Amino acid sequence: MRNLLRWLVTDADRRAIESELAELYEVRRREDGDAQAASWLRRQRSAYVRKLMAERLRGAISGATSSLPHLGRDLAYSVRSLIRTPGLAATIVLTVGLGLGATTAMVSVVRSVLVSPLPYADASSIYWLYTDNPPFRFRFSLVDYRALEADHPALSEVAAYTSSRVTITDAGSADRVNAKQVTGSYFPLMRQTPALGRLFDVTDDARNERVAVLTHAYWTRSFAADPTVLGRALTLDGASYTIVGVLERSDGPLERDLALFTMQQWAVPKRKGPFLWMVLGRLKPGVPLSAAAETLRATNARLFPVWKSSYQDEKATWGLQDLQSRVVGTVGSTLMLVLAAVGCVLLIACANAVNLLIARALGRSRELAIRGALGASRGRLLQHLLAETAVLTGGAAVVGAAVAAGAIALVTGYGAGYIPRVDEVRLSGPALLWLAALAAASGLIIGLVPAIHSARLKMNRALAAGGRSGGEARPARRMRRLLVAAEFALATPLLVAAALVTVSLDKLARVDVGLDTDRILTAAVSLSGRYPTEAARAAFWTRTLDRLAALPGVDAVALSDSRPPREAGQRNNFDLIDKPTPPGQNQPTSPWVGVSLGFFKAAGLSLQRGSLFDQSSLQQDVVLVDRAWANRFFPGEDVVGRRLRNGGCTTCDPTTVIGVVDNVKWVGLDATEDGTVYFPFVDMPNAYLVLRTGGDPAGLANGVRQAMKELDPELAVSNIATGSELVDGALATPRYLSVVVGMFGIAALILSIVGIHGVMAHFVQQHTRDLGIRLALGGDPGAMRRMVILQGVALVGVGVAVGTTAALLSMQLMSSVLFGVSANDPRILAGIPVALLLVAVAACALPARRAARLDPATILRES
Amino acid sequence: MALQHFELHVLVAMLRLGGDTYSVPLVLALEKRLGKPVAQAAVFIALSRLEKKGLVTSRLDETPGGRARRYFKPTRQGVTLVREMRGEHARLWRGLGSVLRAPR
Repeated sequence: MRNLLRWLVTDADRRAIESELAELYEVRRREDGDAQAASWLRRQRSAYVRKLMAERLRGAISGATSSLPHLGRDLAYSVRSLIRTPGLAATIVLTVGLGLGATTAMVSVVRSVLVSPLPYADASSIYWLYTDNPPFRFRFSLVDYRALEADHPALSEVAAYTSSRVTITDAGSADRVNAKQVTGSYFPLMRQTPALGRLFDVTDDARNERVAVLTHAYWTRSFAADPTVLGRALTLDGASYTIVGVLERSDGPLERDLALFTMQQWAVPKRKGPFLWMVLGRLKPGVPLSAAAETLRATNARLFPVWKSSYQDEKATWGLQDLQSRVVGTVGSTLMLVLAAVGCVLLIACANAVNLLIARALGRSRELAIRGALGASRGRLLQHLLAETAVLTGGAAVVGAAVAAGAIALVTGYGAGYIPRVDEVRLSGPALLWLAALAAASGLIIGLVPAIHSARLKMNRALAAGGRSGGEARPARRMRRLLVAAEFALATPLLVAAALVTVSLDKLARVDVGLDTDRILTAAVSLSGRYPTEAARAAFWTRTLDRLAALPGVDAVALSDSRPPREAGQRNNFDLIDKPTPPGQNQPTSPWVGVSLGFFKAAGLSLQRGSLFDQSSLQQDVVLVDRAWANRFFPGEDVVGRRLRNGGCTTCDPTTVIGVVDNVKWVGLDATEDGTVYFPFVDMPNAYLVLRTGGDPAGLANGVRQAMKELDPELAVSNIATGSELVDGALATPRYLSVVVGMFGIAALILSIVGIHGVMAHFVQQHTRDLGIRLALGGDPGAMRRMVILQGVALVGVGVAVGTTAALLSMQLMSSVLFGVSANDPRILAGIPVALLLVAVAACALPARRAARLDPATILRES
Repeated sequence: MALQHFELHVLVAMLRLGGDTYSVPLVLALEKRLGKPVAQAAVFIALSRLEKKGLVTSRLDETPGGRARRYFKPTRQGVTLVREMRGEHARLWRGLGSVLRAPR
């Protein structure tokens, strides 16, 4: 309390308060006893602080209100005076504006993506239900969903859906769109309403009709919002569906890029797998999450024995995760990192602005002293300086709003592929309020420090100095140096982060995908139900492979159900006959890639051991594995001839490994290589074409499109991409991060260089006379140069040391976005500080040279 | 001049104590008159405001032993204001006795 009182009242008053309190305490003690008096004393002490602070605030408010008439005049004067120093004004407005805009944009992104609830009614009670088989979380099987549908005591509703790309055909043209097959309970669970017609409900499950509901976006885009669309027929993958309704307009992540919903027509399952169903549930009000998880596990445990013959992984159970965190995924850490980066840039920009304004205030000390001598009170002078800051931060806020609008447009456009919910980001009212609050806070930081320093200037001294140097006060000098050190302290972790993400990107770009990406073209083809039998599909794919192989420039062609580096079709669990999974443990899993017989030749994968697939493989239960798989399960042993049972099936025939091929990255460039299993297929409903060429693979695209059109004009070829484009796509997120953090790192570095150069140049200017005298007395110009550089480097050194410590402590938070480089990489943690010190030497070189080249005779004559 | 309710209380208590007094007797006198606890800080702030308005003056009295008291004394303007307010209040309340006494 004493410390606070010291700040609130004069020393004399504080002594009187303490003494009088003690006196009254004695009275209380005599009347009420020790305990009550002690409690009274505590209350009185806190009442003093509280009431005095309130009194201060009241005084400040009434003071501000009473001086309002001067405000307009001050603002006008400030604008005129800033126009006279356009360089300084522009630097502050632009740098602080850039920091404000970037921070506002990132705050908007973080708010929309991470904080705002999903745009569904009572969204916080919607949960994603998953099969929990640590470390994996995957979807439900239909068997599981049906069991959950019948028994879900903790959930008020459950619904399931599958997503797919479907082909809508209309008068000879084919359109590939995204669709969801949903249960009747889906729309009631989401609490969604129709814009037109009706949505599905639980009665639709029993009717088994082919009906569809359009999304508002698709209805507007493809049907020009035609209200007569209801009842119209739509051909989806060759089957006719009736449009029964249009969903209300929705920006939700579950409707993103979606054209329509169809009513599910899933056949009754005969075995537990596959696990393709997304399941949602609404938690009953008042049920704790832990209790809901417990009931899910219990339902699952009751179900397990029923399907044990086709799924024997007893440890796999069900779990639930709130839909919002499921939708946002792992992007949170990246966004927070970028937000921290822009926050640092804003702080550095503010520190720089403070530095420039202190220098300006020192340069104007005589003007302020004259105004003071003519009767302006300190409060008036302070108000005038704050008005100047208000003009600057007002300008910065305008620049900030423009930067924020631009940055949000960039992020929503460029980040649409990998930032979930980014289409919900807007420069909205709350975002502009944020901007205003940030601008006000920045204005306080920028304005108060120089203003307080100006107010402390000794007027007599300033007047006596005749405005030549103004005599930089020691606190001002200390503050300016502190600010420069702080700028470097903030820039260091930012540059360390930029270096880390850049090295990480470089390592990722150098990852060997395993395929000859420069010579490969891929494209997705969906048979869209046009070839209903296995034989028809096999015949079509054989015709396709023959036709494409005949295209000029094509060396080899094949099919696969997956596409590297991150589109693995499915992952399967399995049990090795030679090394069975011990009871109570999870079965191992691997990506399970279906390929046509010629895939390995087309992809350029060489055989390491055993043999590749041939025609007979299609009739046998055989697989190929890669080197990583062989090393994982049979290190140092021969893997050819080993047998396994996949999918948890205990009664199926075992599958035999017939060969080992090179490794390929199927589940992400940054994924650890834990092995892939290849199985032969010729009758898949959807597949990727893989074409190998001796020339430029992109040149094959038109030929492939034309050939497919000739084979079947109703089929849509989509997602045509060369191997290099696929790798580029996988690098988009890390590249985005490294460009953004790198940009902010460079901005921070430039601002810090401006800061240190400004301080040292000002130092030389302030000490021109002292330096001149030293030189006149025979001082060594080299020593002068060294002194200036050493002073600057010492200053930067302190900042860099603090910044490096901060980087060391905080970089662990970056681990999740790094690949192939440790967050505490010693080369980066040592290299960046050294580089910064060298930059500081370079920034101080110019003022140092000026100091060494001063002409003592001229200086002494002038003074 | 605007005078807050509690400031008037403090000024009246000061007159009652014969002027030239400090916070301790004022707190005790106010508590006795009002029949409820009074915060010393509230009295301190009221005195500061009264001083700013020119209604009281103060002096610091410090003894070598370390005891410090700030003594306050009403100015002529302060006494005049209390007199005016008493008249104003008397006029304000005049004739209300029967209304306030009547059972409702």
